[in-house]
Amino acid sequence: MAAKPRQAKLTLGPVLFNWAPGRWRDFYLRIADEAPVESVCVGEVVCSKRAPFFEPVLGGVIERLEAAGKEVVHSTLALIMNEREMDTVRALAAGTDLFVEANDIAAVALLSGRRHAIGPYVNVYNEDTLAFLARHGATRVSLPGELPAQSIAALAGAGVPELEVQVFGRLPLAISGRCFHARSRGLNKDGCRYVCAEDPDGMEVETLDGDPFLAVNGTQTLSYTWCNLAGELAELRAMGVHRFRLSPQDTDMVAVARIFRDLLDGRRQPREVRESLAGLAGGTPFSNGFYYGVEGVAFRGPESGASPPASV
Amino acid sequence: MKGTSGTLDLVCPAGTPAALRAAVDAGADSVYVGFRDETNARNFPGLNFSRADLEDGLAYAHGHGVKVLVAINTFPGAGNPGPWRGAVDAAAALGADAIIVADIGLADYARRTHPGLRRHLSVQAAASSPEAIGFYHRELGISRVVLPRVLTIEEIAALNKAVPVETEVFVFGAMSVMAEGRCSMSSYLTGKSPNTVGVCSPASHVRYLDTGDTLLTTLGGYTINAFSETESACYPTLCKGRFVARGKTSYLFEEPTSLNAIGILPELMAAGVTGLKIEGRQRGRAYVAEVVAAFRRAVDAAVRGEPAPPTDLVAMTEGGCYSAGAYRKAWY
Amino acid sequence: MRQSHPLAHRLVPPLSPVLVAGLALRALPPALFQPVLGLAMATMRRRHAGAFERLAGLGEPVFLIDPIDLPYSFVLRAGARAPSLTAIRGGHAVRATATIRGPLLALIDLLQGRIDGDALFFSRGLVIEGDTEAVVALRNAVDGAEIDIAADMASLLGPLARPARRLAGAAGAVYSRLAEDLETLRRAAIAPAMRRAGADAARLDRMDEAIAELRRRMRRGRMEKP
Repeated sequence: MAAKPRQAKLTLGPVLFNWAPGRWRDFYLRIADEAPVESVCVGEVVCSKRAPFFEPVLGGVIERLEAAGKEVVHSTLALIMNEREMDTVRALAAGTDLFVEANDIAAVALLSGRRHAIGPYVNVYNEDTLAFLARHGATRVSLPGELPAQSIAALAGAGVPELEVQVFGRLPLAISGRCFHARSRGLNKDGCRYVCAEDPDGMEVETLDGDPFLAVNGTQTLSYTWCNLAGELAELRAMGVHRFRLSPQDTDMVAVARIFRDLLDGRRQPREVRESLAGLAGGTPFSNGFYYGVEGVAFRGPESGASPPASV
Repeated sequence: MKGTSGTLDLVCPAGTPAALRAAVDAGADSVYVGFRDETNARNFPGLNFSRADLEDGLAYAHGHGVKVLVAINTFPGAGNPGPWRGAVDAAAALGADAIIVADIGLADYARRTHPGLRRHLSVQAAASSPEAIGFYHRELGISRVVLPRVLTIEEIAALNKAVPVETEVFVFGAMSVMAEGRCSMSSYLTGKSPNTVGVCSPASHVRYLDTGDTLLTTLGGYTINAFSETESACYPTLCKGRFVARGKTSYLFEEPTSLNAIGILPELMAAGVTGLKIEGRQRGRAYVAEVVAAFRRAVDAAVRGEPAPPTDLVAMTEGGCYSAGAYRKAWY
Repeated sequence: MRQSHPLAHRLVPPLSPVLVAGLALRALPPALFQPVLGLAMATMRRRHAGAFERLAGLGEPVFLIDPIDLPYSFVLRAGARAPSLTAIRGGHAVRATATIRGPLLALIDLLQGRIDGDALFFSRGLVIEGDTEAVVALRNAVDGAEIDIAADMASLLGPLARPARRLAGAAGAVYSRLAEDLETLRRAAIAPAMRRAGADAARLDRMDEAIAELRRRMRRGRMEKP
C-alpha cells in the first residue's frame, strides 16, 4: 500500500516508424504544445540509417518540448551493430546533462554511474536485475511488454527505481540485424531505398489464412494489434506503477494522451473511452493478453471476467 | 584438459545423457546441457538432465577430459528466483566446469554465491559490442561470451581485439534471425515466453495437419507455414514462417535453413574466436554423433592448416539446406 | 481446434522388402504378435525405466504408431503405471493422443536412436498428428534410452544370444540386396508418371496463386463493409 497518493505520469515513447522529417517535427511540436504528457522520448531506436533525416530538426523539437515543460528523454538504438552506431550512443552518453534511456546493455555500460533510464528493449524480468541496474544509476525502468501483471506487481514491490509500463500502441516483439522491409521488396539493408517510409504504422503481415497478426518496421517486428491497458490502469496504480508509456502511432496522439490523462485523473472511466480509443485505432484491434499472462495478441474486455478496476 | 584459453573449444549439445556420451565419444571438447525445467532455453518435453543425470554425465565427460557447461540461460521470473538459484547451486555443487547465464541478476547471484564457478554469457544476453561485453566482464566476472548471430566475421575479428574475454560463436544448427533473448513473437501467439519458460514455439501449441499434398503448421491456431509434398520442412518457429506482406507470400524473415560454418572455420579461428558451438540440445543423439564428428575432423584439419575434409550434413538441416548466415554481409 | 483432414496421412509407402513382407503377412491376425510385443514392453520397462520417467507429466498418453508399409498399426500406451504395446489392424477407431506414421525401418531407426527425429521430419519421412507435445516427449524419451533391439532381445535369449546376433546380421545382408532390387523395379515403374508430374506442378502453382488472390479480395471486401 502506497504511503501517499502519487501523481501519475505519462511518457510519450519515441516514434518508432520512419516518418518524413517535416511530419516528424510537426508531430513533436504539437505534442509539446498540446499533449498532457510529462515526458517525451526522442531519438532513433530502430534503424541508424534513418537518424540523419530528422537530426536537422531535432534541436528545434527538443527546445520546444523543454520550453513546454516536458522532460526530454533521449532513447538509444535497440540493437548496436557497428562502431558508427556505437558512436551515436557514446555521443549521447557524453552529454552529461541529458537524460538518456538505454535500450541496449552497451548503453547501460556507458551510462553506468550516472542517472539514466532503462528502455523496454533491455531484459528486466526480476528483482535482482532491477536492483543491479538501480545500483548502476538507473532511476526509471520501462518494462518489457511481455511481462504479466504478477511480475509487474513483484517488481513494483521493490519500490525503486520508478517503473513504467506501455499502455498504448503496437508492442515491439523483436529486433534483427536484417531489414525485413527491404527484404520484402527483394532489397538488402544497405540498398534499402528507405521503403519503410511507406508504412507510417508498420507493414502489415498476414498469416496464410489471411489473418493480419504482425507489423514490420524495418529491422523491428511489432504486434499488429495495438496494446491498450486503459482498463488496467487502476490495477497498475494499486501495484505501485505510476508512469505509463504511450507509443506513437499514425493517429491523433494528443487525443490519445488526453484520454489517458482523463483516466488517470479519474475524470473518465475506462468504459466511457472505449469507443473513442477504438475510433483512434481506426479499426485495428487492441490487445492486453501479455498483462493477463496469456497470448499477447488476446484482448480481454471487462465482460470477459477480468477483475473490475478499483478506484483510481 | 582440452579447450583451455588460447586453444579452440568445440562446444557440443546434449539433451540427454545418451547424447552427452555420443558427443564425448565423437570428439567434443565441451558439452553443454540443461536441467529438466524452465531454467534453460531448451525446456522441451522429455528432454534434459536431472541432478543425478548431470552427476553421471560429469563423471563420464571428466573421465574423458571433456568439460561440461550447464546452461541456465532463461530469465528468472519476478518473485520466483528459486528454480534458477537452485540450478546455479546444483551446477556448482556437482562440479560443472562453467554455467552459461543470460540474466544480469542471476549472473550477479552466481558471482556473489559461487565466485569460483566459471560464468559464460549466453547468446540470449545479446552482448554484441565491446562496451556491453566489457561491462559483463567488469561487473559480473564473465569469462566467455557467446556472440549473437548478428555479426559478420570482420566485425567478430574487430570485437576480439577489443574485449578482455574469450568469445564463442555458433558454427552449426538452427539459426535465429532475431536478436536472441529479445524476441516475444512466440509468446505473442502462445502466452509462453521463450525468455522465462525456455521454449520458443512450445510443442503444446503446435499442430501439424498433413493433407497428403500439403503439410500445414499452426502455432496457437495461426497457420504459420504450408509445405508442398516435395518441400523440406523446418521448425515451427515464427521467424521461419511463410507469411503474406503487400499481397506477396514469402519467407518474410528467413527461409528454412540451418547455419553451417564448417567451410569458414579457418576464418573464424583467424578472427580470434575460442569457442565453436554446435546448436541442437533438442536433437537426437544421431545428430550429435554425426555433426560433432564432422566438426572434430574439420577443426583438427583447420588447426593443421589443411583443407576441410568433405562432409555432408544436409540431411541434418532445416529446409534441406544451409548457409553461412550472418557471418557474410550478403545475409543482411 | 482443427480436425484431421479425411484425406490425411497419404504418406506413400516405399516399395521396400517391408512392404512386400507386409503384403504377405496380411492374412495373419495381429493377435499373433501379442506375445512378442508383450515381451518387448517388459524388456523396455526392465532395461529402460528412465524413458518412462521422461514421459512423466503427460498423463496416460496413447500413441498410434503406424508403419505405412505394414498392414498393422501399433497402439502404445505409455503411461508409467501400465504401459502396453498392442498390434491392431487399421487404427481408425483408436482414440490416440498422437499418431506417428512412417516406414517401418525409419521408425525402428528412430527407436534405436540411429536417425535424428527432426531430420526425418524435415525430410518429410515422418508424419505426426495430434498432440505434438506428446510426440516430442516420446521422441526424446526413446532417444535418451539407448535402445538396441538386438541387445535387448539378446538379454532375453541368454546363451542363444550370440547365434541370434549372427542370424540378424545375415538377415540384414539379404534385406539390403532385396531393397536394391526393388528400388530398380520402382524406378522403372514410375518413370512415365514423373514426366507428367512436372507439367501438373506448374498448373497447380498457377491455381494456388489465383485462390490466394481471391481469398485476399474476399477478406478485404468483408472488412470494407461498414
